[in-house]
Amino acid sequence: MATETQSTATDRTFAQRLDAWLDEDMSIRRAMAVYAIIGVFMLFLLLPVAYMILATFTSAEFLYSPRLIPALSDLTLANYQAILSTGLFQQYFVNSMVIATATTLLTLTVGTLAGYSLSRFEYPGRQGILFTFLGTQMLPLVLILIPFFLLMFSLNLVDSYVGIIIAHSVGGIPLGTWLLKGYFDDIPESLDEAAKMDGCNHLDILARIIVPLSLPGIAVAGFYTFILSWNDFLLVSILSQTAATRTLPFGLQLFQSQNTVAWELLLTAATVTMVPVVLLFALVQRWVVEGLASGGMKGA
Amino acid sequence: MATSTDARTGLARYGHEFKTFLSETWLGYALILPAVLLMGVIIIYPTFRGIQLAFFEASLLNPGQMTFVGLENFAEMLSDATFKSALWHTVLLTAVAVTLQYLLGLALALVLKEKVPGASVFRSLSMITWVLPVIVMVIIFRFMLQSGFGPVNIVMAKLGLETAAWFGRPGVAFPLVVLMHVWRNVPFYAIALMAAMKSIPETQYEAARLDGAGPLERFRYITLPQISYVSMIMIVLHVIFTFNNFDIVFLSTGGGPLGNTEVMATYIYKTAFQQYALGYGASMGVVMLLIMMAFTVVYVKLEARD
Repeated sequence: MATETQSTATDRTFAQRLDAWLDEDMSIRRAMAVYAIIGVFMLFLLLPVAYMILATFTSAEFLYSPRLIPALSDLTLANYQAILSTGLFQQYFVNSMVIATATTLLTLTVGTLAGYSLSRFEYPGRQGILFTFLGTQMLPLVLILIPFFLLMFSLNLVDSYVGIIIAHSVGGIPLGTWLLKGYFDDIPESLDEAAKMDGCNHLDILARIIVPLSLPGIAVAGFYTFILSWNDFLLVSILSQTAATRTLPFGLQLFQSQNTVAWELLLTAATVTMVPVVLLFALVQRWVVEGLASGGMKGA
Repeated sequence: MATSTDARTGLARYGHEFKTFLSETWLGYALILPAVLLMGVIIIYPTFRGIQLAFFEASLLNPGQMTFVGLENFAEMLSDATFKSALWHTVLLTAVAVTLQYLLGLALALVLKEKVPGASVFRSLSMITWVLPVIVMVIIFRFMLQSGFGPVNIVMAKLGLETAAWFGRPGVAFPLVVLMHVWRNVPFYAIALMAAMKSIPETQYEAARLDGAGPLERFRYITLPQISYVSMIMIVLHVIFTFNNFDIVFLSTGGGPLGNTEVMATYIYKTAFQQYALGYGASMGVVMLLIMMAFTVVYVKLEARD
């Protein structure tokens, strides 16, 4: 009897058995399997980040020892005190913050106007403009870089905030405009019509109806732009020539390419660099995930 | 008499509509003008200049002095061994990284869409790798794999295995670059694919279940076709992104060891900004652009036919 059941069990192909197992409703076993797979992914994705953060709270003696887990006596805040009181680091942080904030504001302003135009107006060339914007995302940045640098040089924008802000904004405008257009398209035009009846002109409609109703979309577009600017290395490495305009990624690169790396300080500087974007992500993550589901991925 | 008044109101109405049409068009153009100007001056114009530059010989030291050389730059590539290996590395990196990203992203999407407690927390947490600046990711990986007391080497030593400066190893550096591309982008695929899966109505699965379709069949015939559009977007975006990517390689290995991880973007950057050969750099950029355009057109056509 027992051997018979066993033989029928092995007779089923692997696919059939997998099928039967997958078909179970949410059982404890299935939930545990799901958690196990999620756990493996989280270990893969988060362990390196978590270990870096742990390492920033330990002393150099621990990091330069063959131990993996710090003892309580290894823990210290000295690295943060050292990094946060370094003049250059403060300067880079301020540069990054000013540039990323200004880039976000500029991109959102330009992108909102452009997205509104693409969403609500009919005119020749509208589709062409949208496709050209999106098409620029395909361009190899290194191809543009050479003439771009010469252009910025002739405009006297090398090594200035303004030059970097403009460069980053141009990187953010295509995606920002496209996202915002998607969100604006979701707002029924009957609202525009009703507002027109009440004597609103187009700019009133934009300011009083479209923008307030698409705040999640604006938050997501702003977030994308902010991280694009905050994380950029290539453009800054070309445009920034002195510490006065150097941002954190460029500063970290100079720091990590020194001959002897002080890991405890480098890791701490890296951790402080990622804090603003992670915080910002925590604020908007719900909308980012939703946006990927609806506005962002619906297509033009 | 009556007809003429009708005609006049008709004409007046058309006139009015024409005027609003004009004013609306004018406003439409005005609103998009800042974006078009910025894009035109900062991206489109340099692109055309870049393409033009590909047919000239010019030095970064004296960019005003340009000599027309026709297709010479392109001919030079044929005998440039570094160019060939950089192109091969770029294609290989793109193919392997995007394939792994898609498969792992699909797997993560399938578990994240399960209704288990805490799934939404994991959804958000997983995105952190995608939000991090590239330089921070590179520092993390270099720290983990450093030659001295890097955590990976500590574990390897405990297991009695070989320790090394992993980023400096010819056979290991390239897989590490692939790994960083995968690590960084898997969550983005997962969230997008999961969102697409969640938008499939549950009733379709119920109907298939009643017809006796098992989970694998349901995945094959319901889930896969309905996430194909999002899959296409994710794949095209990431092929372009990976193919053009500069900073992951430049910041982690700089193209080394011994050119083992040199990709097109880093080679062009070095050619133009360290060897000052602007024309040659630009011509390789044009090759990259052509490959990407061909890829996108073919892929979108294939996808549209299905």
